[in-house]
Amino acid sequence: MENAAIFGWALLWILFWGALGGVVTPRIYARKDLEISQASFGGAVIGAALGPLSLGPLWIATPKITSRLIGIAIAIVVGIFIVAFALADPDNLCVANGGFVISQLANGIVIGVIYGLMALGLTLIFSILGVVSFAHGEFYMIGGMVTYFMTAEWIPGVSPIIAILASCIVTFAIGYVFERIFLRPMGSGEIERPTEYAILVTFGLAFFLQYFTQALTSAVPVKAQRFFPFPRLELPGDSGAFLRMTPGNVTIFDAISVPNPRFTAAVLALLMLAALLWFLYRTWVGKALRAVSQDRQAAAVTGINPDSMNTLAFSMGAMLAGLSGASLVQVFSWLPQVGIPAAARSFVIIVLGGMGSLPGAFLGGLIVGLVEAAGTGCIPDATRAAAYIPAYGMVILTLVLLLKPTGLFGREL
Amino acid sequence: MLKLTSNNIYKNFGGLEVLKDVSFSVEGPELIGLIGPNGAGKTTLTNILDGALKPSSGTVYMNGERIDTRPPYGVARAGLGRTFQVTRAFRRMTVLENLLIPAMAMRATARQSDFEEKANEVLEFLTISHLRNEYARALSGGQQKLLELGRLLMLDPQMIILDEPFAGVHPRLMEVIYRYITETNAQGKAFIIISHDMDTIFTLSRRLLVLNYGDLIADGDPEVVREDPIVKAAYLGEDEE
Amino acid sequence: MNPTALYRVTATVALIILFLIPLASSELGGLGPLVLSSYFMHLAITAFFYAILASSWSLLAGYAGQFSFGHMAFMAIGGYTSGLIGKFIRFTTAPSELCTDLPLFGNWWLVILNIRRVGTIDESCLDMAKAETLPAGTLIVFPPVWASIAMGLVMGAVFGLLVGWLVLRLRSTYLALFTIGFSEILRAAISAEIPITEGQSGLELVPLFPGGIAGFGSTSKIPTYYAMLLLFIFAMALMTWLAGSRFGLFIRAIREDEEAAAALGVNIVRYKVLVFVITSTLAAAAGALQGHYIGIITPNTLIILQMSLVIAMAVIGGLENIYTASVGAIIITFVLELLRTSVSIGPIHIDMTLWRLVFFGILLMLTLRFQRNGLLFPILERISRGGVAAETVSIRAQEDEELDEAPDGMSEDEEVGEELEKRASGTDTSAS
Repeated sequence: MENAAIFGWALLWILFWGALGGVVTPRIYARKDLEISQASFGGAVIGAALGPLSLGPLWIATPKITSRLIGIAIAIVVGIFIVAFALADPDNLCVANGGFVISQLANGIVIGVIYGLMALGLTLIFSILGVVSFAHGEFYMIGGMVTYFMTAEWIPGVSPIIAILASCIVTFAIGYVFERIFLRPMGSGEIERPTEYAILVTFGLAFFLQYFTQALTSAVPVKAQRFFPFPRLELPGDSGAFLRMTPGNVTIFDAISVPNPRFTAAVLALLMLAALLWFLYRTWVGKALRAVSQDRQAAAVTGINPDSMNTLAFSMGAMLAGLSGASLVQVFSWLPQVGIPAAARSFVIIVLGGMGSLPGAFLGGLIVGLVEAAGTGCIPDATRAAAYIPAYGMVILTLVLLLKPTGLFGREL
Repeated sequence: MLKLTSNNIYKNFGGLEVLKDVSFSVEGPELIGLIGPNGAGKTTLTNILDGALKPSSGTVYMNGERIDTRPPYGVARAGLGRTFQVTRAFRRMTVLENLLIPAMAMRATARQSDFEEKANEVLEFLTISHLRNEYARALSGGQQKLLELGRLLMLDPQMIILDEPFAGVHPRLMEVIYRYITETNAQGKAFIIISHDMDTIFTLSRRLLVLNYGDLIADGDPEVVREDPIVKAAYLGEDEE
Repeated sequence: MNPTALYRVTATVALIILFLIPLASSELGGLGPLVLSSYFMHLAITAFFYAILASSWSLLAGYAGQFSFGHMAFMAIGGYTSGLIGKFIRFTTAPSELCTDLPLFGNWWLVILNIRRVGTIDESCLDMAKAETLPAGTLIVFPPVWASIAMGLVMGAVFGLLVGWLVLRLRSTYLALFTIGFSEILRAAISAEIPITEGQSGLELVPLFPGGIAGFGSTSKIPTYYAMLLLFIFAMALMTWLAGSRFGLFIRAIREDEEAAAALGVNIVRYKVLVFVITSTLAAAAGALQGHYIGIITPNTLIILQMSLVIAMAVIGGLENIYTASVGAIIITFVLELLRTSVSIGPIHIDMTLWRLVFFGILLMLTLRFQRNGLLFPILERISRGGVAAETVSIRAQEDEELDEAPDGMSEDEEVGEELEKRASGTDTSAS
């Protein structure tokens, strides 16, 4: 980085005014007897956006802090961040090469869709059971493992579709059995302090599944072949093609390049998402699920059995994680430990999106996908960047928890 | 001499006004009933007096000190104790430990043994001394309620707010609670009692506050309040329907 | 025998045995037919290490109800602080001119070494200074190990204070997520800042007793055994005292019901922060000691699997008691090692090195489901309560009362209030 100092100072500036705004604003609002539920978070982002220029008017006029105000402030912060980065490092690929930027964005969105799908499973479980499954990453890992072993070792040449279906069945079944044995008793009051129990027992499941898989498969990384290679294609035929496909890659406008495995994985994820939405909004069972998530007792009165909805939600959540794993096993190499960072990422996403919010999970997935793409593409020191990748999400997580624990679409808890 | 004043308390949750301009004061060991239909803001008012919630505007003073800005433990130390609508015993602690907590919290240098005698007296008074070393979770609902009342005696505040002390309690225990209130009150502690049990509250309290959708619509002698047309229309009338 | 006396006798006997164990080690020729290998001594040290971590985590999670997943992060903070001080700090009798020099008393200087770039073999500034600027006869002294360990403790306490303060508003699941986040950020930072921490290849630490002690060489396990044992005893004594004092009473009240505790005058902010500070300091102490014993510390000690091992030990032993948690950790450390053998049942050949942790995971889940207080807790309960089950008296009491019912749920009034309150803030705010 050439002028790292510029970037550093910009960052410090943002942090300083953000912290000041976050601390002082609620006091001022409280003194004027105004609504302060958003004052801390709003003050922080507004302070971070324009520093004294925005905090001054805010403190004097004390307008109602609306979502729109916060949205604008966040946009400005991101803008300053990007400009400072560009000024600090004008030769960086992320700044100098538009094609690279668009490609990174496209890849970020593509991977974000899959992250979103996995997080949807977690948020679905949370919205029905009120439990964060710490074993979510292990279902993701198992989904990938089953798919790999089906296609590569047990039945070579089998259609990837069948392998993916098999991984769905396996993860669904594990989720089902686990829920029936370990989580069902929570509903009946048989288990004291259910929240702590749920944290520990899903943690125990993660521990078990990870070592179980390791014992079965050994710790050698595996990676599946791409499921559906692209046909070779160029549209239009001359050079400077609008669309160019090779078995392993697709290029649009000669600029946006997405590798085949990521592309097919994202398409699979979108299909699943459509199926999930159809299920939740068009089928009776799906409506029952949503009813339970909104009001358990009312739903029970109308004849829905909340216990079976719990089981269904947990198994489906596990299956969604398994499915993301199944579609990503052709992208990343697979190990029994591969679920840990994936689970961590899902935690980030659901906290960012708002625990229990389905659109929040999807949007959160996109944001995390983009942030990771930017992080990998833009940070100059590649090895250091790679080591920090898991931390970006965690920084988002801790910041959201501290500033706005309800996340973007704070469905209140 | 105890003096508690709440001045012009407002409380909003988002757009919903739960309390509107609630002012009243308590002087000396009064025995006050606080009634009102569901959603009237009784529990919110309790939470504000206790420090668990901050008022959107307005102040609470106790013996000349402002307490609405204090955290709940600060308010407790200033001399205001409360129970909760749903019994909140420390379930995985013994009855004795439950009683020691407030006593220890009030005195920084005290030792547990200093209070055991007092704890025994309290348990005796509440007729649950045989449960001294049981875990609170092993107690029945009514016994847990008594335990909460016992904790307040150990805290030894000047004023006690009881949230639905008679709800779902066996008649025999009800007598104990009734005795607890009258005797403690006679010893100089003020009470605010929230209850749905009209008969008890009218016979027990010597002053009645009526909340209706956030408004304090009546404050006075129970017999007078009972005949107040606004109260009748807003609350008692509904009940009789 | 009354329970207290029984505990005292058991504890005394256990202590005597623990102090005598090294006499039977192979280094000292064994005790008659009993010869404990050096490997056994290693296991014992590791067992104490895990026992400190599991019991301090039990104080944090089991007593105070703060389910933190960041305990190993504090352990690593202790180890890394001590290691980094050993790596970067020197004391000299003359300024080096080439490094960062800070004057101390007399003619002593504290020298902070430069951070060397990765992949280059440029010399440390002190080596160059030795050749160029330092006058002949200058003494260069490494910081004493005990001092760097002490700094590790201080850093553990500081981070404990910071995290404890940050998580005041967060409960259960949110706290768990936050502490995972903290732990992961720290791990990423350690892995990434290779010039400082050596990244994945690990930071080397000097031995606990670099010059040996009392006739034992620096590689002897016996001094380390006693050091770890003393730390373990100190930690247990401290926590026993805390658990029995007002501190223990209050943190358990906070675990049971934070709001009710606050309403009874308990300063919940102070005690929640304090329990984080104390348990993190203990974890940091264990980490620093273990780091110097093993000689190297890597960011992998921070991975969630290491944390789950500590959690599993505490849970299987008994989460709600520091003794069951620590004894559980010691037993499990040994059992896991004993299981490192292969078993053949007929044609089926099971490599237990792989499968032992699978069974361990099943045991963890079953313990949680069916014996929530841990496998050792019932024993303790039986002794201390004289075999009378907690429920019996109350069952009698309930028979007396017949109709006495628990109050029938929340009325709408409170529900509305509470729900709105949460809506306003996102989490429970009573602590702030």
